[in-house]
Amino acid sequence: MSEKKLKKLLIYSGAFFMFFFCITPFVWMIIVSLSEHPDFLSSNVKFIFTLNNFVQVLTSRSVHLLAYLKNSIVISSVTAIITTFLAGLSAYAITRLKFPGKIIIPMALLGFSMFPQISIVGYLFKLLTMFGWINTYPALIFPYITLGLPLALWIMLSHFSQISTDFDNAALVDGATRFQILLKVIFPIALPGAFSTFILVFIYSFNEFLFALMFTIDYHARTIPVGIALFEGLHGQIPWGYIMAAAVVATLPVIILIALFQRFIIKGITEGSIKG
Amino acid sequence: MAPNSNKYLRNDTGLAYLFNSPLIIITLIFVFIPVVGTLVTGFYRDVTFMPNKFLGLANYERLFEDIHFWQSIQFTVLFVTVSVMFELFFGMIFALILNETFPGRGILMIAILIPWAIPNAISARIWELIYNFEYGIFNFLVIHSGLSAAPVNWLGSPISAFFSIVISDVWKTTPFVTVILLAGLSTIPKQLYEQAMIDGTNILQRFSKITLPLLKPVIVVALLFRTIDAVRIFDLIYVLTGGGPGGSTTSISLYAFKYYLNGDFGYGSAISVIVFLVASGLAILYLKVGKFTEMIK
Repeated sequence: MSEKKLKKLLIYSGAFFMFFFCITPFVWMIIVSLSEHPDFLSSNVKFIFTLNNFVQVLTSRSVHLLAYLKNSIVISSVTAIITTFLAGLSAYAITRLKFPGKIIIPMALLGFSMFPQISIVGYLFKLLTMFGWINTYPALIFPYITLGLPLALWIMLSHFSQISTDFDNAALVDGATRFQILLKVIFPIALPGAFSTFILVFIYSFNEFLFALMFTIDYHARTIPVGIALFEGLHGQIPWGYIMAAAVVATLPVIILIALFQRFIIKGITEGSIKG
Repeated sequence: MAPNSNKYLRNDTGLAYLFNSPLIIITLIFVFIPVVGTLVTGFYRDVTFMPNKFLGLANYERLFEDIHFWQSIQFTVLFVTVSVMFELFFGMIFALILNETFPGRGILMIAILIPWAIPNAISARIWELIYNFEYGIFNFLVIHSGLSAAPVNWLGSPISAFFSIVISDVWKTTPFVTVILLAGLSTIPKQLYEQAMIDGTNILQRFSKITLPLLKPVIVVALLFRTIDAVRIFDLIYVLTGGGPGGSTTSISLYAFKYYLNGDFGYGSAISVIVFLVASGLAILYLKVGKFTEMIK
């Protein structure tokens, strides 16, 4: 066999393995969510298609799935918008203004991002209790901003540094303020970068678990990963059909995001890590 | 112009700090203060419903003699080593494949992001079902292929629980490694390979003589990123095994969390400080290594 053919064979068999490796658990979740009995792999049970699991988790009042989903989407969106904007403000100053601390600020932030969450969660809990924020949106939004900022800043920096300062100078001559330039000139040019940042911070916030577990109590602020992790049956038996249906509902937003914006996500991941 | 530009310079500094102030203030309140707070709390007896008391290093002395603490360190080190190794191995293979052009590559790029995007807590529940004793896929395969006559309690024994966690984590995080390595691969000029092919080298020689050396900085970044992340593993284990059986899969973060949950903030903080020190050491290493990634830009 020629090397070319061998290579082709390797690539295709590898690609097949990779595809099934990635999607099997995901597909399994969907299959069980659509099955009347989660134990259809047992020899005496058959697979019967049903939408009942979805109907149950979406309509049952005690499950609060839609409330969790709403909390997750609102908290993640607000976090992503604020983080992208603050990172843009800072990246503008770092790439365009002369000041002491130009290097220290991004480096310190990157250092902070390495702090394990467990080393701040205990004291943060006390702090948030003092603020009276436990079980509210801000209790998650502000800590999530700090989780997203380092990554956001790196992505924005790498985009802003590629934009010529001629744009700024021209606008300054026209009498625009720095803030106006950032909003009306630089942000629009760096829109793809801002968008990558927004999506990545959204997904990271949507997935966060430890803070959400510690700082929320019930459906008023609890996010969907915590809701699903703590989902237990009432009668001892774990209701796998319901859990998988809930999991499908929870993963839907992120799956839609990656299907639509795969390029932005991949660019964001690389810019956020390698350029550091 | 000179006085003018001086004036701009002064304005610049004020404005620059104004632009950076929200970010600095938020980081101070929600990261810096809690970190300092944790350091200080680690020196106290700080238990709910009891008066706080300064203990000096007593919490750390207790740590030193705490078998369960050492057990969690041992588990965490083993977990990090084994899972990061597999993630780099599969990540490299996947990146090499995706670096080629072939029909279906676009779909593969989306498929690979699925494990990455699913929240950890949710993927842990999916795996919990896959490992299920009575009707999980694993036992279905094991019994029907004749590997075992009786179903295996995957999450029930320390060794199989360990590997169950590793498999779930490798599934979840290999995509991240793949994406980073792929970015590194795409910067290697194709001409290098063409020239080497003319010189009559085979696929393995080209991989070890061209790909590996040129990719080294990116591999190191991926390795450190994953290590820093794996050291603080929490949610996957919390949901999948809860640290069991018999505490054998309790990661160091989960161990600290259990004390927080019981209201023992002093001891929990002392454990957290250890996690923090380990992660900081790795972070410093990363910041140093990160510099030579400039080359590949």
